[in-house]
Amino acid sequence: MLPEFYQFHHPTKVIYGEGLVNDFAHEVEELGVKKYFIVSDQVIHSLGFIQPIKKGLEEANFVITGEFYDVPQDASVEAVERISRHAGDSGAEGLIAIGGGSVIDATKAANFVFSEGGDLIEDYSGAATLTRPLKPFIVIPTTAGTGSESTLVAVIYDVANKTKLAFSDKFLLPDLAVLDPLMTQSLPPGLTASTGMDALTHAVESYVGVDSSPHSEALAVEAIKHIFKYLVRATDKGDDLEARGGMLIAANMAGSSFSHSMVGCVHSMAHAVGGLTRVPHGVANAILLPYGMEYNFEVSKEKFAKLAPVMGVDVTGMSIDEAAREAIAAVRNLGRQLNALDAIPVRLRDAGVPEESLPTIAEAATEDGTIVYNPRDVVAEEILIHLKNAY
Amino acid sequence: MAVFENSKTFSDVIVGFFNLLGDTPQVADKLIASKLVIRFIYSDPDVVVVVDCSGDAVDVRPGDTETKVIVEMSMKADIAHKFWFGKVNLTMALTRRQMVAKGPVPKILKLLPAIKPSYAMYPKYLVENGYSQYNIH
Repeated sequence: MLPEFYQFHHPTKVIYGEGLVNDFAHEVEELGVKKYFIVSDQVIHSLGFIQPIKKGLEEANFVITGEFYDVPQDASVEAVERISRHAGDSGAEGLIAIGGGSVIDATKAANFVFSEGGDLIEDYSGAATLTRPLKPFIVIPTTAGTGSESTLVAVIYDVANKTKLAFSDKFLLPDLAVLDPLMTQSLPPGLTASTGMDALTHAVESYVGVDSSPHSEALAVEAIKHIFKYLVRATDKGDDLEARGGMLIAANMAGSSFSHSMVGCVHSMAHAVGGLTRVPHGVANAILLPYGMEYNFEVSKEKFAKLAPVMGVDVTGMSIDEAAREAIAAVRNLGRQLNALDAIPVRLRDAGVPEESLPTIAEAATEDGTIVYNPRDVVAEEILIHLKNAY
Repeated sequence: MAVFENSKTFSDVIVGFFNLLGDTPQVADKLIASKLVIRFIYSDPDVVVVVDCSGDAVDVRPGDTETKVIVEMSMKADIAHKFWFGKVNLTMALTRRQMVAKGPVPKILKLLPAIKPSYAMYPKYLVENGYSQYNIH
């Protein structure tokens, strides 16, 4: 059945290629401005990733007006404010983010104030607060997970109030995303696996969510196919550039998919786990994805059954129930393969979650904004059963 | 053409309905538990209302442009009218910019299940209060 209404809006130009980060000036030219401010973090800077990118742009007569490498692990309001201030003071006309989700989100949010002035929280926290496009914004992801280079959302940590602020606006979408597998080849196995499972969670939840559409489903399916083909390879052998590229593409497609259809109860639980126990988001999603699928089994089994062959399951002769169960088993098996590579845990207890915190996590999950997109009501008592199973 | 001909009529309708929600424990209890203070800014016709759930009861204050609120929701009066019939998908309306939300949107989304009963209350409220001409059939 088709949705009563949906829209698909993806203005971000995505380019993919090995070594492209040293040779994308042609695409930058199309954005019409010459002066850019670079944002990254200390790790990426210390790995020497920035210099060749700068060199490539400067050789094409672009001016790098300044750089900022102090984005913390959780993109903070303070970092966002510093980025917008420094970028503005430097005379930049556009922003370039080089990094993972935090760097991308911090730069995305900085573009509000950099382009329009005002106060980040007072003027822009919320949804659809902008009325016109922001200044040019280029993203070069160095992880394959969040897909933030293709989403209209930025999540920023408000340290003072210990809350995460969500900014959602179609004008936040970057103008250009440069996917280069060379940028992810030094990612360690643990981060490769957890960010990859984060992307899988985006794709699966987007596929079954209440706001899914033919467009978002198509992207989710292709993302899932790529993740099952490449995630173990990329985790096992970091220099397998085909696998790295496959994962970058998958994360990007999953990001675009969930930017339109959002996510559900796995994220509700993962946000609660992360908030209460500081387990990294990707790890929490990796552990909880099969349990969230079980939670949604009755209402989503037809869709899970469609995903089974995408995940490599031969469903010949299977009923819908059997195929759907095989899809969940395939996700669980993927987690076990990554666990065998010492990359991620498959149990909450192995991630350091205290058992006594599970009821609080279940309650917190029902308070999460993602529950409205889940295909069935998120009820604390029932979520707790699945959290205990995941323990 | 807008459904409501002037600000006074729409203000009477929407303020009366918010007061009804505030007097309905099934909805009000969850609104109060949220502790949210929301300013609704309606246009065409222009009306501003603050719904303050920070105390022991839901306080509805028409014309309040001063209070520092947690969330500010802007929309056309027609969209608000349709919303209370359950005919507007909030997330889609935000995506399409039929509504603009400033502040913590997830807190608003969380209230959606709580206000579901109000969709059945709104048409009944219109009829019972002499506004049946605004009912959507």
